[in-house]
Amino acid sequence: MTGRDPRKAFGAAVHRVAQENGDVVAISVDSGLSSGLGGMRDEFPDRYIEVGIMEQAATGLAAGLATAGRIPVLCAIAPFVTARNFEMFRNDIGYMRQNVKIVGRNAGLSYSPLGPTHHSLEDCALARLIPGIAVITPADCGEIEDAVAAMIAHEGPVYLRLGAGSVPDLYEAGSFRWGRGRTLSRGEDLTVISSGHITAEVIDAVDALQKRGIGVEHLALSMLEPLDHDLVVEAARRTRRVVTVEEHYVRGGLGGAVAELLAERCPVPLQVMGAPHRFISSGPYRDVIVGCGLDAQSIADRAAEFVQATAPVTTYG
Amino acid sequence: MNTIDVSTAEDIELRILATRARRNVLRMLDAGGSGHLGGAYSCIDIVTALYARVLRHDPANPGWAGRDRFLLSAGHKALAQYAVLALFDYFPAEVLDTYGAFGTVLPGHPDMKKLPGVEANTGALGHGTAIAAGMAMAARTSVESWRTFVLLGDGELAEGSNWEAFAMAAHHRLGNLTAIIDVNGLQISGEAERIMGMEPIAEKMRAFGWTVQEIDGHDHRQILDALGRARVETSAPTAVVAHTVKGEGLGRLAGTVGSHYWTPSREELGEAFIELDRRLVSLGRERVA
Repeated sequence: MTGRDPRKAFGAAVHRVAQENGDVVAISVDSGLSSGLGGMRDEFPDRYIEVGIMEQAATGLAAGLATAGRIPVLCAIAPFVTARNFEMFRNDIGYMRQNVKIVGRNAGLSYSPLGPTHHSLEDCALARLIPGIAVITPADCGEIEDAVAAMIAHEGPVYLRLGAGSVPDLYEAGSFRWGRGRTLSRGEDLTVISSGHITAEVIDAVDALQKRGIGVEHLALSMLEPLDHDLVVEAARRTRRVVTVEEHYVRGGLGGAVAELLAERCPVPLQVMGAPHRFISSGPYRDVIVGCGLDAQSIADRAAEFVQATAPVTTYG
Repeated sequence: MNTIDVSTAEDIELRILATRARRNVLRMLDAGGSGHLGGAYSCIDIVTALYARVLRHDPANPGWAGRDRFLLSAGHKALAQYAVLALFDYFPAEVLDTYGAFGTVLPGHPDMKKLPGVEANTGALGHGTAIAAGMAMAARTSVESWRTFVLLGDGELAEGSNWEAFAMAAHHRLGNLTAIIDVNGLQISGEAERIMGMEPIAEKMRAFGWTVQEIDGHDHRQILDALGRARVETSAPTAVVAHTVKGEGLGRLAGTVGSHYWTPSREELGEAFIELDRRLVSLGRERVA
């Protein structure tokens, strides 16, 4: 399948927004060019701040710039701008409520050959734990472009999660809505919820399930915070079973957010699919994804088993 | 040499102000029962001088875009800033009596969204200089320009994030940034140099590309002289290495580790008030004379 590189889509989108909005500044921790921000650097060298490999100080710097009305965009390999600098993210941006956009690229397992130091399987959990941080997890490059414009327009801290490689186009351009999920297919037997680039894989899995006669309501959530509560609860009430799929640990991300919501508002059987909660062996991306059971075939097989194993629940909701 | 001339009369005025600020700190301890007095007292002469003579600020308009920024990286010294902000009418003095209460605008570490005049939410050490660098960098491309001052402790220098920020500020030639390092030599577990030796601090800062001045942090003439020179520096950030005494201002606490977080008895607090009130009387006599 042909696709586009999320980093290039992101960098070009920031560059476009910066042409319209003079407050936008990019901060590079030796990471700007590999984040697609070369165009921004060339046209606006005064608004492209290189600080070298220092994510902690870069995060504080972003907060300080934001106190004076700048809109800093700090993009680097995901673990280094979420885990490495977590206290600065929490205090300087979250607690100080500064208008800073933290962008984690090569999130999930997209740096699979580089091993667990470069895997980012807890970034959504970390960002989601900080009060007031909006968390955007786009599925395709069009959604990244929309999300960049939306996060700059949104006054407040944002975490934007990007993968890498080649991502197929899934959605119509301009269709992203803040805090709103999408319904990609309708069905009455099972709700499958996905977020991020793995959604392309999940679409194939859902097709396979439908062919097996299992009616699947497929929801794709573009944001984990704010989460589209009504969309999820309505589907869970109807289908009585929910599966979540994400390229993230099975703790604290999409599955965690959905579990917290459904436990309160619509307790139904839930299966959380994602990377198992251990340090994942390095290897070619496809092999690692299959190893985690996150390829379309594995997702469909596990979801079908889950449907079989769960008796219909009729007393809740 | 750029100096701010301090006449004897002005010096007495600053000493009176700093003593009144120390008294405000006691007032907050009276309300809350305990607090980080030692570090507040080691830096309070500097903080008083900043607000009285150095910073461009307007208590009636604390959000003025062109104001100079002053933030604590050592956020636990918030008592010093609260005390001085009260002296300069950023808030009514009665608010000092809410220290320690649930929902107070004077939390144990400062919150910019609660109290006008506070520029950053510090308290976790090693955060302030990077934030200050961002403020300084923004000033270079703003219509209204300002200078940024950040105050650190010496124990705090063990946090590596400071050194990232020091390198960054020098690399980007933030001449409009001043870091004041309050070297009182003591931290919660004892002597700073025995816990993690960071000396020679001045040489390290020079090696990192900063312009460095070393002063006695309780001598108002030296404080104003150093900060006056920092104000006109343009090519490199300035570090003012201020040698101070933890708990300075109260005889029984000065130079003691125990002053770091003080929980006084009623008697001890009463004696401390008397000691500062006597100093105020004596400074008042010097002023008249």
